[in-house]
Amino acid sequence: MATLLFELGAEELPSWYVQQGSEALADLLTTRLTTAGVEHGALRIFATPRRLAVTLQGVAATSARRSVTRRGPAERAAYGADGAPTRALLGFASSSGVDVGDLVIDDRGKGRYVYATTEVGGDATADLLVDLLASLVVDLPAPRKMRWGDVDTPFIRPVAWLVALLDDEVIPVEVAGVRAGRATRGHRFLHPGEIELDHADAYEGALRDASVVADRSDRRRLVTDAARAAAASEGLELVSDPALEDEVCDLLEMPVAVLGSFGDGFLDLPDDVLSTVMVHHQRFFPTRGADGRLAPRFVALSNNRVPDDTVVRGGYEQVLGGRLDDARFFWDADRTESLSRHAWSLSGIAFQKELGSMGDKVARIGTAARHLADVLGVSHDEAAILKAALPIFRADLATKMVNELPELEGTMGRAYALAEGQSAEVASALEDGVLPRAHGGRLATTRVGAILAVADRLDTLVGFFAIGRRPTGSADPYGLRRAAVGVARTAAAQGWRVPFKKLVDAAVAGYDGSDLVDRDVGAEVEAFVWDRVAALLAEERVPTSVVRAAVDGSRSIVGAARRAHLLEALMAREGFGDLMALYKRAANLGRQASERASVRSSHFRDDAEAPLFAALPDARRGVERLMAGIRKQLVPWDLGRRPERPLGDLDAAIAEVLHLKAPLDAFLDGVHVMVDDEDLRNNRLALLAEVAQVLRDLGALEHLGAREAKEAVA
Amino acid sequence: MRFQDIIMALDRFWADRGCTIVPPHDTEVGAGTFYPTTFFGALGADPWRVAGIAPSRRPADGRYGDNPYRFQYFYQYQVVIKPSPGDIQETYLQSLYHLGIDPGAHDIRFVEDNWESPTLGAWGLGWEVWMDGMEITQFTYFQQVAGIDCRPVSVELTYGLERLAMYLQGAKHAFDVEVAPGVAMGDLRRDFERQHCAYNFEHADPDLQRLLFDRFEVETERLLALELVHPAYEFALRCSHAFNLLDARGVLSHTERQGYIQRVRRLTEASAAAYLAGRASDAARAA
Repeated sequence: MATLLFELGAEELPSWYVQQGSEALADLLTTRLTTAGVEHGALRIFATPRRLAVTLQGVAATSARRSVTRRGPAERAAYGADGAPTRALLGFASSSGVDVGDLVIDDRGKGRYVYATTEVGGDATADLLVDLLASLVVDLPAPRKMRWGDVDTPFIRPVAWLVALLDDEVIPVEVAGVRAGRATRGHRFLHPGEIELDHADAYEGALRDASVVADRSDRRRLVTDAARAAAASEGLELVSDPALEDEVCDLLEMPVAVLGSFGDGFLDLPDDVLSTVMVHHQRFFPTRGADGRLAPRFVALSNNRVPDDTVVRGGYEQVLGGRLDDARFFWDADRTESLSRHAWSLSGIAFQKELGSMGDKVARIGTAARHLADVLGVSHDEAAILKAALPIFRADLATKMVNELPELEGTMGRAYALAEGQSAEVASALEDGVLPRAHGGRLATTRVGAILAVADRLDTLVGFFAIGRRPTGSADPYGLRRAAVGVARTAAAQGWRVPFKKLVDAAVAGYDGSDLVDRDVGAEVEAFVWDRVAALLAEERVPTSVVRAAVDGSRSIVGAARRAHLLEALMAREGFGDLMALYKRAANLGRQASERASVRSSHFRDDAEAPLFAALPDARRGVERLMAGIRKQLVPWDLGRRPERPLGDLDAAIAEVLHLKAPLDAFLDGVHVMVDDEDLRNNRLALLAEVAQVLRDLGALEHLGAREAKEAVA
Repeated sequence: MRFQDIIMALDRFWADRGCTIVPPHDTEVGAGTFYPTTFFGALGADPWRVAGIAPSRRPADGRYGDNPYRFQYFYQYQVVIKPSPGDIQETYLQSLYHLGIDPGAHDIRFVEDNWESPTLGAWGLGWEVWMDGMEITQFTYFQQVAGIDCRPVSVELTYGLERLAMYLQGAKHAFDVEVAPGVAMGDLRRDFERQHCAYNFEHADPDLQRLLFDRFEVETERLLALELVHPAYEFALRCSHAFNLLDARGVLSHTERQGYIQRVRRLTEASAAAYLAGRASDAARAA
């Protein structure tokens, strides 16, 4: 058993790729080792801007001996009419390294095929690794690769060096113009030059000595600790920002915190403006004083430990000061005009050629938002907030500040609204209306803000679908998937139980009087958003079949989300999968029942009929209690982030539903439904239709079956 | 270090590393990337190493000299090397050392920054280089120029000279930067900047610029038909500048803007294709 070290040294990687790339490298390595039959033990992942690395302990010296079976051509394509092997069969035999006589014909559930079995394994791992490690560099997934020099293997940034060690032995990997050795590199400035590793186990310690914290979670902790300590040195509190900590962590190899300051005079700018300039433009952490207000101090994380940080701090302060000067200029200039005045300028900002200006869009959003308010029902106060917010919604898009700092859209709407004396509620609605800004970003929390956010995004979807700009494949130049995700997450988190179709209808109403939108557009937008709902539930690791059952069986988005988690829990119960298989048969037969038919016990003839009928009221009550239970237990949440608390306290209701299983089984097993006697037949069909109808409140259960139940349990 | 000394130091540094120091080109360009020595230099397979100061004009970026960092006329220092050397980051850091900046005493970072020029049909991946939080250099590996894959790949370094000098001299405004003993940047450029901003934003005649664009476009095509690639490309650059002036005047709608960008791109791509075709036939003749 040996330790493997593979380090891919690169010119500075994009910060967002550091963690993702290192995990992908580890996945790919372990998958390929497993495929190659090489047993291995504990894995460790290392990631900095200049390196992706893994160490793997307990790597077997040779690959395991095992037999591998390949499927070849179908039997009918394997032999000619004369019984002679076809060219396809000969090719398969030779590529498998097996004599034609040793091939086997077998039916393994896919029809009769030719199979070849070969004995493999016993190869030296050190030999296997030469090609295997090179293949990792070639195949490592990355969204956008590049080329450099005259190297032909693309990677996300130029590959600078490789280390490949199996214990103390160098694996001579050669890829991307680089030959692997035992030399890694330390910190770019604190420990320039190469470091020879005598053993794979020495990796982390050697880098630590060379001022590189290679373990990302260790480095992440150091970032947070150092930043907090720097703030605390002046009695300040660091404004916590996990996303910034992540980014900063992946922009350096050795964190050193520097506390800097800016002029007190800037403190009359809104906190959000100060924070944005510090965080987004400079990756500095803002700090707070004991009074909870921002302090004129910031914490920067340097990647260099210098004897005297006066110069570095002075540089940070000069750059930040320049940016804050700009921000102050915009803040003063923008406030010489009111938001409603800025709103006029929206007609000069293009939205999309066929769909008019931002002014046109905001007018449509107004119509859609008023319809939404009607459909969802709003209080008197909320209606007043909406009325005040609509004429100035997104007006900040026309301000200098947002033009210069686009990420402040919405935030400036709120700040300028407050500065001109609008109520806090109106101001918050203006900001909420632009949320979420990014995938996984913060959602609107106010009801009026959520209405604006959904109206805006549905208007975009309806408009772009109407002019035929649906996303195709992975391309989505207009951000329509992001818009749909925003709609789904907002509607779910708000717990809106009205049918989703009605929300789309409200947005379609915004286009009244235009001939752009025909009848089908609404349905297409609905389907598009439902697809995103399904994708978000899949992100919560709900099995696909359960997601389909929940989505197809629900009219509101929050309903689908709740059903998904209920059905997932039910499918994990003993017997529920079997009940679903029985449901499928009952529903198929029951579909033939006439709509008006009702069940009459006087028509019961078979012993299995009455018990099934008698079990129905309990089952119906069980289903109702389940539905009420999830409404109570599953407080609306942000879709895509699995609710942490597992469903509890549903046992009694589940038992009531499961009581249906035995009589239904007996019925389907013993009763001949399609008898000649029309009355008896119709009565039996009606009974099955009722069974299906009782259960169907739980979702589109035809997507579920016994097989999924086993998967869920496993 | 004075501004002129920075330029001379960079010239010396890159000349010592095998670059030919090329003087500035005399047609208006938005960035050093538009220089024929960069644009054509990045195409084809032959090795290429040039460096030099590249004055650039971006009419819309002017602020009448009020903003310490933003100007419609500014200096870049441009280095283009093909194929990109494996030690280019280290060499770049040495060039800072050569300017009196000890990388060991600062916080220097290579932060992802990807570059794209729709009018040149060009894009690349790389970084902006931060020194103590200030962006001082753009670092780009060209992937495509004029829609053509770059093989081998060139690396382009673009130093922001004003920022670098401000930092080195502790100046709060680019106009406060000392260029030569007793001569400030503002002495050379203050009136120039203010008057050009007035022209770009207020007085440029849009009808004239539209007319010029149309005529320059026709001229580019006429010259390309005559296989006069270099004059043709210069007229494409003039189209680009006319478009930049129209853009600064704020007279272009979104759609119109896209249209002009496409037209410039068509001209630069045609120039690149003609350039490569000419090189290929030269090679054939030589053989």
